[in-house]
Amino acid sequence: MFNLLSILFKYVFIIIIYLFIFSIIRLIYLDIKSINPVSADDSAYLKLINRMDSLPYKIKEHYSIHGQLTLGRANDNNIYIKDPFVSKRHMKVTEDEGKYYLEDLNSANGTFLNEERIFDVVKLDSGDIIKVGNVEFLFVNRG
Amino acid sequence: MLKNGVSPKSPRNLLFLFEVLSLFLLFIYQWESVNRYTYITGIGLIFIIYISNLILNRISKGDNYIFLIVTMLISIGVIMIYRIDSELGVKQLIWLSFGIFIFYLTYFTLRFIRGWQKWITLYIGVAYILFILTFILGTRKYGAINWIQIGSFSFQPAEITKILLIFILASYYSNTEKFKKYKNAKYYIMLIVYSFIGLLFLQKDLGTALIFYGIFVAIQFIYEEDRRLILYNLGLFAIGGIIGYGLFDHVKVRILTWIDPWSYIDNKGYQITQSLFAIAEGGFFGTGLGLGHPEFIPLAYTDFIFPAICEEMGLFAGIGIIMLFLILVYRGFKIALSQINPFFRILALGVSILFGVQSIIILGGVLKVLPLTGITLPFVSYGGSSVLSSFIVLGILQVASEDLPIDEDLKLEEENNEIRD
Amino acid sequence: MKSEIRRIILVLIVICLSFVGIIGYMSYFQVFEAESVKMNSYNKRLWINEENILRGSIADRKGRILAYSEKQDNQMKRFYKYGSLYSHIIGYSYREYGKAGLELIYNNQLLNINENSAIDELINIVAPNTIGNNLELTIDHGTQEKARALLSGKKGAIVAMNPKNGEIYAMVSLPDFNVTSLKDDWGTISEDANSPLLNRATQGLYPPGSSFKVITSAAILKNQALSNDYKCTGTTTINGYVFKDYQEGGHGNLNLSQALAQSCNTYFTTKSLELGGELLRNTAEDFMFNKSIPFDMPVKISSFPSGKLGDTDLAASAIGQGKVLATPLNMVMVASSIANNGEMVRPVLVKKILSSDGKVIKLNRSETISQAVDSLKANEIKEMMVGVIREGTGKKASIRNVQVAGKTGTAENASGKSHAWFIGFAPVSDPKIAISVVLEEEGSTGGTSAAPIARDLIIYGLNNINF
Repeated sequence: MFNLLSILFKYVFIIIIYLFIFSIIRLIYLDIKSINPVSADDSAYLKLINRMDSLPYKIKEHYSIHGQLTLGRANDNNIYIKDPFVSKRHMKVTEDEGKYYLEDLNSANGTFLNEERIFDVVKLDSGDIIKVGNVEFLFVNRG
Repeated sequence: MLKNGVSPKSPRNLLFLFEVLSLFLLFIYQWESVNRYTYITGIGLIFIIYISNLILNRISKGDNYIFLIVTMLISIGVIMIYRIDSELGVKQLIWLSFGIFIFYLTYFTLRFIRGWQKWITLYIGVAYILFILTFILGTRKYGAINWIQIGSFSFQPAEITKILLIFILASYYSNTEKFKKYKNAKYYIMLIVYSFIGLLFLQKDLGTALIFYGIFVAIQFIYEEDRRLILYNLGLFAIGGIIGYGLFDHVKVRILTWIDPWSYIDNKGYQITQSLFAIAEGGFFGTGLGLGHPEFIPLAYTDFIFPAICEEMGLFAGIGIIMLFLILVYRGFKIALSQINPFFRILALGVSILFGVQSIIILGGVLKVLPLTGITLPFVSYGGSSVLSSFIVLGILQVASEDLPIDEDLKLEEENNEIRD
Repeated sequence: MKSEIRRIILVLIVICLSFVGIIGYMSYFQVFEAESVKMNSYNKRLWINEENILRGSIADRKGRILAYSEKQDNQMKRFYKYGSLYSHIIGYSYREYGKAGLELIYNNQLLNINENSAIDELINIVAPNTIGNNLELTIDHGTQEKARALLSGKKGAIVAMNPKNGEIYAMVSLPDFNVTSLKDDWGTISEDANSPLLNRATQGLYPPGSSFKVITSAAILKNQALSNDYKCTGTTTINGYVFKDYQEGGHGNLNLSQALAQSCNTYFTTKSLELGGELLRNTAEDFMFNKSIPFDMPVKISSFPSGKLGDTDLAASAIGQGKVLATPLNMVMVASSIANNGEMVRPVLVKKILSSDGKVIKLNRSETISQAVDSLKANEIKEMMVGVIREGTGKKASIRNVQVAGKTGTAENASGKSHAWFIGFAPVSDPKIAISVVLEEEGSTGGTSAAPIARDLIIYGLNNINF
C-alpha cells in the first residue's frame, strides 16, 4: 500500500516542485517587466514603496524625472493611477537647475510629503516620501 | 493581467500542498512507529512555515520571494531528513524554528541599528577570536578541526566567520574613500582574507576555505579599482593549490578521488561513489519516498543530502533544487542592483555569492564535477550552525531588499565617488 | 558606476552558468553513465534483491544444469557445477568481485526484475517475486567439454555454431579460470599476463591470416574479369615488399579454386591489386567486419582498414594480414554464411528464458543479419573449400564418410610465433556445424595444428548434438 502511494506521489511531488518554481519565475517575470530599470544616468526618480502586487491597478516601480513629471487619473499623465482617491490631475514634480519641486494641482484628497499635506510648492530632498491616495513613492535624487 | 493583483498566494499554497502530501506519506511510511514526535514535526513544519511567510509579508516591504524559495528548500530538506532519521527530523525542525527566530532578530537588529559600515575593526577582531577559539577548543569531526563543543551543544565557528567576512568586505568597499588615507589598505584587506583562508586550510576545512575565496574574488572583481590585484588573487590561488596538493595529504586525497574515485572505491573514494550510485539509482523520477536506500550514503542527512533526495525523489527534484538556488541567487543579485545604499548593496552581493558558491561547491562535489569538500547545502542539510547562519544571511538579504536611507556622511562620500567616476 | 553594474551582472552570469552546467552534467550522467555506474558491484543496492530472490538456474540445450542457486541458512548461495568450463560464458556473480558473463548481462532476467515500464515497476513493488527466471542456453555441454579438452594446454579459442540458425554449441577460450575458487585465485587471475579473464572468442582480435582468403575469394568472384588463371612463382614483390608462399618455388599455374586450396599468397596479393581496396572492404563489411555483431555478449568489432589503401596494405589485407583483425566468433560466422547459401545469421547463446514454472518468457529466434554473398557464389566458394580439405592445406580436417569444407590460416603477428587458424563446416550437403579454431602464438600452420582439432570436434558434435 505504502509502496503504491509512494510511487504515485513521487510524480506529484515533482509536479508540485516545478509548478512552484514556475509560479515564482512568473511572478519575478511580471515584476521585471513592469520595472524600467534605473539606468545609471537617471539622476532623479520616484520609486514605488507599496508592494506592487498589493495594488489592484497597473503601476511601475520606477518613474524617472526628466524636466517634469505629472501624476493623475487621466491617461495623459506621466504616472496615471486608476485609484478613486486620485484626481484627474493630481500633482507634479518639476526640475529647475538640478533642484526638484513638488506641487499639488488642487487635488481633492491632497498630496502628502512625509505624512504632511502640502499646499504650496515644496522643494524635494532625496529620501522624501510622497503619498497620493493609497500609493506611496520614495523620491531619490542621485545628482 | 494585473487587475486582480498578482499575489504570492499560488506558490504559498503549492508549498503547503507539498508539505501536507509528503508528511502524509511519511506518516504511512512509519505507521507502526508514529508517535508524538511525528505529529509535532508535521504540524510544526506546516505551521512555522506558513505563519512566517504570512508575517514577513506584513512587516517587510522588501522582497517576498526569497523567503518563499527558502521555505520550499527547507521543506524538501526536513522531509528527507525526517525520512532518513525521524529523531534528526524533529531536531532539525527545532533548529529551523530557532533559525526563523534568528532571521527576524537579524532583520530588526540590522534595520534599526545604524552604522554597520563603520565597525570593520570589530568584525576583523571577532573573526580572529573565533579562529583562535576553534584552535583552542576545537574538536575533530569528519577529519576537520572546525567544531567547538560546549556541553552537548556543538557549533562551527566558520559559519559565523563567513558572515563576518561579508561584513568586512562590505565595510571596506563601501568606504574606499575613507581607507584611501591608509596607503596599503587594499593589501591589508587581502592579507586579512588570506590569513582566514590559511587558517581554514590548517583546520582542514577546505570547503569553507573555497567559499571564502569565492566571495572574496567575486567582490574584489566587482569593486577593486586596482585590477592587477585580481590577477594576483587568481595567481595566488593556483600557487596555493599546487603547494597545498604537495604539502597536505588531505588536499591530495580530495584531488585523487575526484579524478578517479573508482580506483579508491573501498576507502577514500567510498563517499563519492556511494553518492553517484544513489543518483544513478534514482533515475529521472526517483524510487519514491521511503523506497530507496539513502542509508547506504554516508552522511546522507548533511553533506550528502542531495544524492539522497535524487535517489528517492528523482533527478527532476534534484534539478528543481538547483533551480530554486538559481532563482534565490538571481533574486539576491536583483536586490543588490536595486539597493542604493552601497554598504547594503555589497552585503546583498556577498550574501548571494555565498549562497551560490556554497551550493555550487557541494552540488558539484557530490556529483564529481568538483573535488568533494565537506560543506552543507544551505537550508536543505541538517545542522544547527548551518541552519542558523543561513538564516542570519537570509535576514541580511531581506533587509537589503528594502529601501534604506543613505547615511549623511556616507552620501557625501558617494557623491565624491561619482564625480570622480 | 556603470562598470560596477556590468561586473555585477558578469558575476551573476558566471554563477548562473555554473548552476546550468551542473544541471547539464546531471542529465548527461543520468542518460549516459547511470546504467554502467549502477552495475558496479560496490553498489549495495544490487545485492538487496539478491538476498530475497532465488537466482534462476542456467542449463544447456539438453537441460543439464550448469549453474544454480540454493537458499542456505537464509542466505542465497550460487553454485557453479563445472568450475572453469563456463568461466567466459556464464561468468560469475559474487559480492566481492561483482558479476561477469551471462550472470551480469542477464542479471535482471535471472532475478526476474522487470524495469521496462512503470507498470512492471509497480508490479515488482506491490508483489515482489522471490524466484528468478531460468536460462536455457544453446550450448551443448558435451561439445563444450570436448572443445575444452581439445584446446587444453594451448592458448586460443574455439567456437562451434549451427550455420543455419546461429545456435552456439560450444565456445571455449583458454586460458580460463575457475569460478568456484575465485576468492583464492583472484589476485593471480587479475594480474596474469595471459589474461584468463578475457573471452578470446568474442573479445580477442587476431589477424585472420589465410582464413580471410574466403572473403577475398568472394570479392574476386564478384568481378568476372579476374577469374583468369595465374602463374605462381613463389614470390611476388609489391612496392618493394616481398610476399612469399609456403611452397618453395611456387604453385605453378593456378585458378581461383586451386589458389584457395593451396592458399597461394602470391595469387591473392596480385589479384587484390586488380580488385581494389573498395570492393574488398565492401565484401569484408558484408561479412560483418567493421560492424558490431548482435549477440548475447559484447563482441569486439572485427576491423578491415578504412580509407584509401596503398598497394602493400591492400595486398596484406587480401591475405588477412596487415591491419585486418577478426574475432573467432566473426570467423565462424564467415564459415557459416558460406555453408548457409551466403546468409549470415545472428549467433545465439541464450535459447530461452523460462519462468520458474517452466513457461517460456522469451525465445531467441534466428534471424539473418547480412547477405554476405549471393547463394551462387556461396556455393562456388563452398566447393573450393571442399577442395581445401580434399587436396589442399586442410587435409588433416577430413573425415571418412563426412564431407568437410574449410580453410586454414597461419597468421603472422608481432610475437614472432604465428597464430594457427581453421574455419570450416560439415557435412557439406547439409551443414549442421560450423567451427572456428584459433591457436594463439602456436608457431605452426593452421593445417597441422588447428585442422585436426576442428576435425575431432566436428566428429564429436555430429554424433552427440541434438540438432
